[in-house]
Amino acid sequence: MDAITPLMPEVDFAYDEVPNLHELIEQLRQHGPVVRVKYLGAPVWAILDHKELNQAFNDLENFDPSDGYRIIAAPSMGRTLQTMAGDEHRVNRASVSALFMPLKVRSYVEAMIEPIAHELMDRIVGQREVEFVQAFTRPYPFTVITRLLGIPVSDEAMLLQWAVKLIDFPWDPEGALKAKTGFDAYMQGIIDARRARPMDDFVSLLVKTEFEGQTLDDERILSFFRLLFPAGSDTTYKNAGSLFACVLADPEFRAQAMRGNKDREALVAEGLRWQTPTAMLPRMATGNIKLGDAHIKKGDWVLFGITAANNDPRVFSNPRKFDPSRDNRELISFGRGVHFCLGVHLARRELETALKIVFERYPDIRLKPESKVEFVGGVLRGPRELWVQPYGKA
Amino acid sequence: MRVIFIDDQGIEHSVIAEAGDSAMRCAADHLLPGIVGACGGAMACATCHGYVADGWLAMLPAPSAQEREMLSGCIDQRPNSRLTCQIRLTEALDGLTITLPQSQT
Repeated sequence: MDAITPLMPEVDFAYDEVPNLHELIEQLRQHGPVVRVKYLGAPVWAILDHKELNQAFNDLENFDPSDGYRIIAAPSMGRTLQTMAGDEHRVNRASVSALFMPLKVRSYVEAMIEPIAHELMDRIVGQREVEFVQAFTRPYPFTVITRLLGIPVSDEAMLLQWAVKLIDFPWDPEGALKAKTGFDAYMQGIIDARRARPMDDFVSLLVKTEFEGQTLDDERILSFFRLLFPAGSDTTYKNAGSLFACVLADPEFRAQAMRGNKDREALVAEGLRWQTPTAMLPRMATGNIKLGDAHIKKGDWVLFGITAANNDPRVFSNPRKFDPSRDNRELISFGRGVHFCLGVHLARRELETALKIVFERYPDIRLKPESKVEFVGGVLRGPRELWVQPYGKA
Repeated sequence: MRVIFIDDQGIEHSVIAEAGDSAMRCAADHLLPGIVGACGGAMACATCHGYVADGWLAMLPAPSAQEREMLSGCIDQRPNSRLTCQIRLTEALDGLTITLPQSQT
């Protein structure tokens, strides 16, 4: 298949909201595991099937992510782990990975993550109806990051404005670069303060971290922070919304969420599969390769259809059924290979903790009966809004 | 060749293994509880932690700096902890015995 014309030319997967994304994916899949679609107004490849996507994630010769990210993200985000390859990536990743390891992340749960969930639940006390994305799922993972960094609570809102704009470079280059200026100036102040007087937070650890004799300079630390917000906050908040939409919709899942850690882990894994927040991520091919029936050429843009692979019926039977009892070991939501999501453990614990605390505080919480939940976005995906009634029937 | 995995309930699973595979791949192929291997063997996820039984540890090449760094962040690390994705199976390792941690079930 070398066709230049995309299938579904009327759909742009970058600009359109594609509420029916999974239906579109199933139609596209009839044409093969790798197809042509439209993205940012131009034809690109999309990898849909699990086998081919797994292969692509592990093929750093033909799909080295750093080339593509240098074009779409580096202008506003700098030299992040995403834009690094080989030894540079290995050393820089090892310098920060200790902060995200299972043992460390477990220590954040009681000390920080649960209290943040409680704080946000305190704010909706007495309210009959709440828009849950704005009230909880969006601020929750963002606040986890600002607290991990030791940002003063009074500055959180200001930082949020910049942080959400940083990844917008392909859509709004001017806005993204302006956000970078504000973000950098603010975070540089925090770095300087921690260099002078270390505290018990991420920033203090990063200024003194060392791996194989290498330390991180200020620009490396800044670029890591610029990546931290979109990578750790946007993804988790979208997925938290999708998770609550599913769990609140079914009495059996609500009961499961109130049982124990293993039950919540299963719900979270299925949420990550059923409505993957990083639905389709753009990469640039770094070699010529035949993948499925597609002849991909060096320099072609390729969408990694993560949510498509997570719904590949050959790997996950009856994939559009939300079924927490299924075997989710082949989940590909966090990628594969050396760039595998560093925040995987933090994300999972945040989502599990969210279920635990929300149902502990509001055991009768339910979806507002007449409101429809619509999942939107072809790149980052989650519910547009999620109206809930914290005390159940009004 | 065979590899013996002991799960967190103490149950032994003696499974057929392919020389050349990693111990993680072998466990994952047999769907054993306690090994996830989410990143596919790139030392990037810390979900294939296992405890190598006495006598076998010395037969394995020493862990790299990166593996040691990852292991130090695993829950319940012990002196015989290894990332099973870094254990390359050879015929000499026939009978290799690895206990799987409770934290990964």
